[in-house]
Amino acid sequence: MTAAGSSASGTGTEVIVALESVDKWFGDLHVLRGIDLSVRRGEVVVVIGPSGSGKSTLCRTINRLETIDRGSIVLEGQPLPQEGKALARLRADVGMVFQSFNLFAHKTVLENVTLGPIKVRGTSRVEAEERARALLERVGVAEQAQKYPAQLSGGQQQRVAIARALAMDPALMLFDEPTSALDPEMIKEVLDVMVDLARGGMTMVVVTHEMGFARTAADRVIFMADGAIVEEGSPDEFFSNPRSERAQDFLSKVLSH
Amino acid sequence: MRLIRRTKAAAAAVVLASALGSTLAACGSAGDDSGKGADVDVAENAADQFDDGTRMKELAEAGAIKIGVKFDQPGIGFKGAADDEPQGFDPEMGKILAASLGIEPGDITWTETISDNREPFLQSGEVDLVIASYSITDERRKVVGQAGPYYVTGQQILVRSDSDIESVDDIKGQEVCSVTGSTSLDNVKAKGAKPRGFDTYSECVDQVLDGTVDAMTTDGAILLGYAAQHPDELKVVGDPFSEERYGVGYSKDHPEMCEWINDTLTQSFEDGTWEDAFDATLGKSGVDAPEQPTLDPCQD
Amino acid sequence: MEAVFSDFGEYAKAFGLTCGLFLVAGLGSLVWGTFLAALRVGPVAVMRKASAAYVGVFRNTPLLVVFIFVAVALPKIGYSFTFIENVDVGGHHVSGYFFRACVALTLYTSAFVCEAVRSGINAVPLGQAEAARSIGLTFTQTMQEVVLPQAVRAVVPPLTSVLVALLKNTSVAAAFGIAEATAQMKSMNNDHADQRIQIFLLFAVGYIVLVEVLTFSSYALERRWRVA
Repeated sequence: MTAAGSSASGTGTEVIVALESVDKWFGDLHVLRGIDLSVRRGEVVVVIGPSGSGKSTLCRTINRLETIDRGSIVLEGQPLPQEGKALARLRADVGMVFQSFNLFAHKTVLENVTLGPIKVRGTSRVEAEERARALLERVGVAEQAQKYPAQLSGGQQQRVAIARALAMDPALMLFDEPTSALDPEMIKEVLDVMVDLARGGMTMVVVTHEMGFARTAADRVIFMADGAIVEEGSPDEFFSNPRSERAQDFLSKVLSH
Repeated sequence: MRLIRRTKAAAAAVVLASALGSTLAACGSAGDDSGKGADVDVAENAADQFDDGTRMKELAEAGAIKIGVKFDQPGIGFKGAADDEPQGFDPEMGKILAASLGIEPGDITWTETISDNREPFLQSGEVDLVIASYSITDERRKVVGQAGPYYVTGQQILVRSDSDIESVDDIKGQEVCSVTGSTSLDNVKAKGAKPRGFDTYSECVDQVLDGTVDAMTTDGAILLGYAAQHPDELKVVGDPFSEERYGVGYSKDHPEMCEWINDTLTQSFEDGTWEDAFDATLGKSGVDAPEQPTLDPCQD
Repeated sequence: MEAVFSDFGEYAKAFGLTCGLFLVAGLGSLVWGTFLAALRVGPVAVMRKASAAYVGVFRNTPLLVVFIFVAVALPKIGYSFTFIENVDVGGHHVSGYFFRACVALTLYTSAFVCEAVRSGINAVPLGQAEAARSIGLTFTQTMQEVVLPQAVRAVVPPLTSVLVALLKNTSVAAAFGIAEATAQMKSMNNDHADQRIQIFLLFAVGYIVLVEVLTFSSYALERRWRVA
């Protein structure tokens, strides 16, 4: 069953993003330790681990919302540039979905989705709106287009956030605990959209606590603890036969119910 | 120990000073090596000359008086940062008035009265007299008493030496500086100049010197003082175009003060102390003492 | 009373000049102060420091000192901005005095505007800017499209206080060659010693009316934006 999920996406060989020996400190706290990670086109990588393990930070370094202190990050063949126009261009190709949705509070749902294409890609308003409506349709919130984010449920907001990221035609999508702030009954509607995306061949790095999603949609599972990658492998291997003690301990806690 | 020594020294100074004073008085000399002002003969037993219940009697008996003057008008009333007491024609008039009450110059409390404070300070008793380039007007006489005038001056124009302005007729459309809210500023505004008000006359002088304004205006006497400080850069032009009659302000609660002020002024006109006061102050800029003004009769 | 009413034209003209100073310096302070605030939260460390230093200097300097610097000290060393007198604004010529007063007020007030705007920007959740950056908006676009429009709502109350202070601060110009309301009040007081209290009250009323108009408009804006 997992094989069916991952093989459908058809992972290629081209590396989209490669992290090499990445270290980061928050003051004295060593939050990322010697991270090596590469993600190929079409691959779905799920990062799991206890809270405080550095998985969110890892995700945020990939589009440089967090800077790194050592090592290198190469995105589509280019090293991540310093803050500026070049970085902005690169970020446009990396979609990001946040735990707290972060929809632009003063803009309607439709404006949220069209802002990037119009301002960054230079798409005409008519074209951008047409595309936005199609994307909103795809994530199931087309009828909310004229509302403001505060008028939507959490699940709806997160689906709009996914549409906003997709509107940029990203080469890679980053999900930073996309369901952690949602009420339980809304988690599924968001995960469904994500599984759909994975099946459609989108390259994804997903930080999550949703083990079901990892089993269903991941090509590879990364387990992090204390800022380092402790273990990685296919979901089947990882969930049925974790090698490290940390991973065994973690899984026994999250899967016991 | 130290305190005692200082007290002794002070006592010695007082003795010396009074000795010097009496010597000079005996010689009848108006000489003044400190250059601070003219000498004033202080009346003895002055309190006896005034009727009971008058303000003059109270002041004479108290042996002290509070006088409001300007601190920022060279020649008229000016107190530099390092000075102990204000200098100028107005403080000299104050000393003459105080002397007639038997009050020594050292027992006068000088208070700075800016233009806005003159009436309120008189009304509240903050000062007993205001002698602060205080032009006599009907409006002011409604709220305070004004005796005099002890001096009549007129408004003139101060310009840079290379200026084309020759008289008040040339200031139309020009920027002319004076103190914010002053009568002088109103007068040039009425003559078509653009009024530029600043806080002090010295700021106006700076503005004229650096060319930011075309001219400054106020009473001629003050302007002459500034022109004398910068003879190569500044000049006073044109005839006086207003008449300012400086009076001595007193509280309406004490109308009896008017006669006393007028009597004392008349006496100073006659015995030469008024002219001495002028020569020691405004006269330093080279002008002779003007004709003595005619005093207004007291109203009530 | 009749001192003012018989000369009501002068009273109105003086308050007109007060309003003129307020509008020009207010606009200047809003533009310059917002720019400074953007530098202060911006990505360039040198600019952040420069902007903080500017705020430090001008917020901690008495307005009177700023005025003396611009209106007295600068002309002394040759910077009197008199070129402005050649500029034609609808048939009128701006005086160097008016311009210098506006420069002094703007230099001073923009430091306070900067801090008010910065507090507004800080009131916008960080995630908003992160989301904007993550779709590829540049720093300037992020500020323009996402942060500032939301900051504006949080900024209205503190900014109103800054502008009310500016309105009253225009009175300092009275001592620097501008015949605005306070200068006119001094002049009327000088001419009409018998009506001081009435004159004072009428000028106080003038200021109160202007401040009330300002605060009322600010409430109106707050209410309108709260709905949106």
